[in-house]
Amino acid sequence: MDGGVSTKAAPAVIPRLDPIIHAQPRLRVVVALATLGERDQIAFPRLQEVVGMTAGNLSTHLRKLEEAAYVKVEKTYRRRTPVTYISLTRAGRRALEDYTAALQTLLTEAPSLTREEDGS
Amino acid sequence: MISPESARSPGHATCPDDASPSVGASLSFITAWRRQTARRLFGNPELVLAAWGGAWLLGFGACYLASSPRSALAVPGWLAYLVLGVSSATAGVVSAVETVRPGRGVVGPSRQVTTLYWWSWLLATGGLCLLMLGLGRAGLSPALLSLAWPGLAVLVSGVLYAVGGALWQDRLYYALGAWTVAVGAASTFAGAPGNLAVLALAGGGGLLVMAVVMVARRTNRWTEA
Repeated sequence: MDGGVSTKAAPAVIPRLDPIIHAQPRLRVVVALATLGERDQIAFPRLQEVVGMTAGNLSTHLRKLEEAAYVKVEKTYRRRTPVTYISLTRAGRRALEDYTAALQTLLTEAPSLTREEDGS
Repeated sequence: MISPESARSPGHATCPDDASPSVGASLSFITAWRRQTARRLFGNPELVLAAWGGAWLLGFGACYLASSPRSALAVPGWLAYLVLGVSSATAGVVSAVETVRPGRGVVGPSRQVTTLYWWSWLLATGGLCLLMLGLGRAGLSPALLSLAWPGLAVLVSGVLYAVGGALWQDRLYYALGAWTVAVGAASTFAGAPGNLAVLALAGGGGLLVMAVVMVARRTNRWTEA
């Protein structure tokens, strides 16, 4: 093999990976939000603590996820204090399921591809 | 969308910001991160079970040793009650920490269910203490009280475990509830102080076994996910 993808080993339909979720920091955020119940929300500082990111970094990634309609950011007041709550939308939950399924398909149906990855 | 070819960039589960992990690493990362996040957001229910299992085993065990004429170990009564009190207080603190701390900053239906469920434990404990006080005032003999209160405490715990199992659709937790109810009720048939040995071994032991089973189940579940 010359380092490229073998056409013999490749499956008929190679699943494509969602670039929004594929970036590891955003994957971290989406997986963390998916751990919560469907209608649950988490406060920004708590999410920051769970995912271990700076406020600026987390805001940047949340903006990208919000643009893709994967997360919902809600600004509200709790005991007269402004709070930002974040939740995963149905589209976001579905995107994570699709992403995980695509990865599993790649691992099982394109072993030559994953072998190359592991060796890289 | 990006193609799988572009997913072949080197990386692993802990790669830094914006680096794209490989396919295998992404899957491993999702599995590990899910497990880690669940522990951070929901705490360790196994730890709570282990704490109460230990408290019942040590506390009821010490009370049995203190009151049984056939006991090989001579444990003074005050020491037995001290062991029961300290181990129960420790388990109570572990429960509070593992319930309140992980859920902070989370709002929504599941958080509300968890909060109300844990309030039910406090209500049940308070209600049981009042019931025992009332029965004592009404003239129930100390011998019958010593048979009734530990069995009732374990039985009520079992009912709450079963309710927890029903709420979170967890058959294992429900089975623990059913077992604990049976142990609490059956302990009275052993008479005093045999009831305390039954509660220590079958009640406390049951919780400890379940804590181990739940750890094994969680590890397998996330590994398979």
